[in-house]
Amino acid sequence: MSTASTPHLAVATPERVALSLPVAGIGYRCLAWLVDATLLFFFWVVAYFVFTLLVSDVLGVFQGLSGLGQTLLVVGVFATQWLYWTLAEVFFHGQTLGKRALSIRVVRMDGSPVGLFESAVRNLCRAVDFLPGLYAAGCISMLMTPQHRRLGDLLAGTVLVRDERIDLDKYTAAAPGDAGSGAGAAAAGRALSPDEVELVLAFLTRAPGLQPEARRRMGTRLVEKLGRLADEEKARVLASSEATESYLRACVRAER
Amino acid sequence: MAAPLPAFVAQHRADWDALEALLARQRNGTLSLQELRTLDTLYRRAASDLAHAQTFYAGTDAHRFLNQLCARAYGAIYQPPRERWASLRAFFRRDFPRTLRRELRYVGASGALFILGLLLGALVVLWEPRGAELLVPSGVRQYVAQGRMWTDDILSVAPPDTVSSGIATNNLTVTILTFALGLFYGLGTVFVLVNNGVQIGAITALCAREGMVGGLLDFIAAHGPVELSIIVIAGGAGLMVGQALVDPGELPRGQALAQRGREAVKLVLGCAPFLACIGMVEGYVSPGDLFPTWAKAALGLSLGGLFWAYLLRAGRAEADATEVPAASAS
Repeated sequence: MSTASTPHLAVATPERVALSLPVAGIGYRCLAWLVDATLLFFFWVVAYFVFTLLVSDVLGVFQGLSGLGQTLLVVGVFATQWLYWTLAEVFFHGQTLGKRALSIRVVRMDGSPVGLFESAVRNLCRAVDFLPGLYAAGCISMLMTPQHRRLGDLLAGTVLVRDERIDLDKYTAAAPGDAGSGAGAAAAGRALSPDEVELVLAFLTRAPGLQPEARRRMGTRLVEKLGRLADEEKARVLASSEATESYLRACVRAER
Repeated sequence: MAAPLPAFVAQHRADWDALEALLARQRNGTLSLQELRTLDTLYRRAASDLAHAQTFYAGTDAHRFLNQLCARAYGAIYQPPRERWASLRAFFRRDFPRTLRRELRYVGASGALFILGLLLGALVVLWEPRGAELLVPSGVRQYVAQGRMWTDDILSVAPPDTVSSGIATNNLTVTILTFALGLFYGLGTVFVLVNNGVQIGAITALCAREGMVGGLLDFIAAHGPVELSIIVIAGGAGLMVGQALVDPGELPRGQALAQRGREAVKLVLGCAPFLACIGMVEGYVSPGDLFPTWAKAALGLSLGGLFWAYLLRAGRAEADATEVPAASAS
């Protein structure tokens, strides 16, 4: 749960607050690339059929245009190799469609969004990162640099960071149907540390999906860890997993 | 004494949600001035909440949430200036030629490497004809053995604009590779430059032995000067990148690389439109007998002259005008 051990990008803002953003690893990057590559592939399948329709030219209308069409085709190959990535990153806040699907984005090393130059550099270097095939050079570079950057990122001074979806509701929302039960006695005792709050909330979120036996065992251990209860009251709380969880929930809610 | 975590979240949640909503709308660009002020205030509040969370709730989800929220707001507020048409024009009028003049040493070194390869290839083939078997691609050798120019056939199979765009993408690939291979400590760039030089030199020498050099020059004359210049310039950019890696000076390698990379890519991007234009010339003018040789040569020489005159002259007067007060002020 600590952000310090995983690779991250540290940024100092002018407000004198240190941000630390989680860096996207090689798996995220590969998946995002696969999404983009698939999209471009389907684009080309469609373009190919439209193009052959124009060239085969059933109606004879496009005869004069086919030369122009071929020019566009070859220019288009280049555009998908390079322009798509650059323009998407510049205009969609550092995200191509694949990066958006995986919610990762390109930022500069100081955390600000990429500009035209940085994006152009890192995408020009795709050619080298692809050598000798299947992004081998890029992958080696990603594995060897602490922030998982490929050669193009090193040259452009950029890094990919992850957008996490974090649900704050778990801190404030109460579970339905246990507003009154067991809450009264629990409020007494010492305050919980933030770590303990996190632990209890994480357990409560996951409890409905656990095996009954594991659910009961973990609930018991949490109650013992909090260690607030006298013996006979503890026995009552541990009688069923519902009672255990409503007691734990009451403990957390009492913190507000 | 810090408040318990759920209390902290409950107390500030409304501000954070408001900031998130504003950020989502800021991305679409539909904020009024008043809302922008609110955004600023909320960002500062969130930043101080983040500092609080760092101290008292480090490593919790609330901390990570604030981290991310502040990063998004920070990105929205401290955006880089937008590149607009005016800055694009300024780039081609001043920035690009000025960068090239400043880094002329690298372009010179790159040109020297290319010419070195050219001489090597030509000398080897002139001295020992069998060297051609090693240095000249077999397809080209077959054409030369039959006494024909391989360039004649490009035109007869495909319409000219296909040739033109095909050549343009090929040139772009060579240019990009010449630049980007500089990432391998400059060795890749050196290899591409020398290799291209050797090939072109060997082909020229082979044609000269077979008495076909006139045909080759006829093909190369119109586009050669500018195209080779562009590849040499891209090579110079690649060497800059390599130099930053080999000798980063007082900076860490990563920073030196990023700094030099910005300068180097200016050279490559500046060349792009010229490369596209010269691809047209190569596709339409160079092959075939539509134009006499002297016209091609005149076109090639004047295009090359114009290109280098632009590179060496553009923005120079303004540069002098702006540099004088700067020098006197310091």
